[in-house]
Amino acid sequence: MKAIIYIIERDFKRFFRYRWWLVGLISMNLADLFIMALVYTKMVRSEILASYFRFFSPGITITALFAAAFMIGREVNWEVRRDYASYLLSLPIKRWELAFGRVLSGGLRGMVYMAPLLLTTFVFLGSPTIFQLFIILSALFLIAIGTSSLSISIAASITSFEKFVTARGVVYYLLFFCSTVFYPINLMEQLKEQGVLPPFMVDLARNNPLSCGADLIRSFLLNSPEFTPYLIINLVAYAFIFVVLGALTYVKMLQRTR
Amino acid sequence: MAPIIQTINLTKKFGDFVAVDHLNLSIEEGEIFGLLGPNGAGKTTTLMMITTVIKPTEGTAIVGGHDVRSEPDKARNLIGIAFQEPKLLWVDKVIDVLNWHAKICGLSKSERKVRVKWALEEIDLWDARNKTIHSLSGGMRKRVEVAKLLIQRPKIAIIDEPTAQIDVVGKHRIWNMIRALRDEGSTIILATNELNEADVLSDRIAIMHRGKLLVCDTPKNLKDSIPGGDIVEVKLEKELPEKTLRAVKELDEVVNLVKVKPNHIRFHLNRSETVTPKIMEIFWRNNAPVLSIRISEPSLDDVFLHYTGLTIEEAERLTPRAKKP
Repeated sequence: MKAIIYIIERDFKRFFRYRWWLVGLISMNLADLFIMALVYTKMVRSEILASYFRFFSPGITITALFAAAFMIGREVNWEVRRDYASYLLSLPIKRWELAFGRVLSGGLRGMVYMAPLLLTTFVFLGSPTIFQLFIILSALFLIAIGTSSLSISIAASITSFEKFVTARGVVYYLLFFCSTVFYPINLMEQLKEQGVLPPFMVDLARNNPLSCGADLIRSFLLNSPEFTPYLIINLVAYAFIFVVLGALTYVKMLQRTR
Repeated sequence: MAPIIQTINLTKKFGDFVAVDHLNLSIEEGEIFGLLGPNGAGKTTTLMMITTVIKPTEGTAIVGGHDVRSEPDKARNLIGIAFQEPKLLWVDKVIDVLNWHAKICGLSKSERKVRVKWALEEIDLWDARNKTIHSLSGGMRKRVEVAKLLIQRPKIAIIDEPTAQIDVVGKHRIWNMIRALRDEGSTIILATNELNEADVLSDRIAIMHRGKLLVCDTPKNLKDSIPGGDIVEVKLEKELPEKTLRAVKELDEVVNLVKVKPNHIRFHLNRSETVTPKIMEIFWRNNAPVLSIRISEPSLDDVFLHYTGLTIEEAERLTPRAKKP
């Protein structure tokens, strides 16, 4: 267990080495909320959304969490390309400790990065109860570790940085835009019926873990959409599948690419 | 006593390319074992399999009684490795690299403090401890890589090309570190393509070429294994009588004899240190006073040439390489 803590410590140090860059990124996320979302509030018809700002606040929290947790993949990909991974594989620790250490550190870094945005959401949308807070944090943690695992499995499987960046872009766009992070599912349903959006996009949005995370926060703080156990089940499945897949892929691919 | 490392038909293939081909080695506890061969001979791949970084395609290695295939975690616990290319993050500080390595290798806080300071002083980088890896020279980075082993003090220390591209002073510093590590109780496996390095440091040397083991013995026995490898040149006051020459030729260790000049003879010998006194005695008995003697031993390059028909440079040029997967 100590080895996992040391791996997390190392990855955290690496992440916070460029703290002013992180401050810049968080500021951009806050600008999305306080400039873009406020302007959109005036642009969007009130029968669709009463306040785009209040709708988007949980959304930006989730996208920030996703983006920060995904950053571990860039480091893993660098380690594979520069053969630094050989050093990690040669250390006197167990393979599962190495794999879960990386998954956890990626996830926890995402949680820390997201914290200011979650706090902002609570300030403007209202505080959850202790129980709701526990559920929200647990759900966010599941998204974080699922995402860091997804990122690690992609990064370890691809030895070219260019291909990794392309794969990352595809995952980002697919999961961000086919979700309820930026727009409500009702609107997407309407657009599907009008033939504007393809059906698969709406189905993906409904089952997308990012949608589930954002909707879970909204269900507690905005009472809409309604809370359903599916939101939790979806996130547990996402985390479970990708943590197992990510950890296995990480070790297998590192050994294969030597 | 059982060897601390034993490879049994250890084989690694990358597609159709055989990087290591049914390698059988036995390494004894406490020795400095040199793995010598040109680039592409399969040395690093062998080390990567022993350290469990890559899996063998066929065969296995037993490390401290643990099979690298079935008990890789236990085998890895006994091993530390200094890589050919230092595996360091350029933005890290020297002290942070070593501290973290000490932590992950299980050293307590107090042990860490003492050993990291000691190692930094040993590698002469104490003053540069707060510099980033990026700002260090190639030689300094190499020393940081070896310092990881000094801190870890593993039962088996593997050092891959420790002095490649290092200046003479740096080389001797690293050699001293390797000897210090052995004196601390580690068994050392030293992979190198530098003949002199292997000769100076190793108790035994295994020569590899194209993934195969050619020969394994002490440096002295390897040199002695070349028939007539020792060359002794003798200059005499006057021409040597045929009778005396015949008496010398009859000695078992004399492989060949060349008359460079009437009073200048070149002998190709086996075990020159034992046969030269016998030759001198024959000269003395036959009243042939000696003016000068020059003895030259074969080098490991000669050994390599003897077993492969190629110099190490030629072998390096002609060795096929695996395509990177």
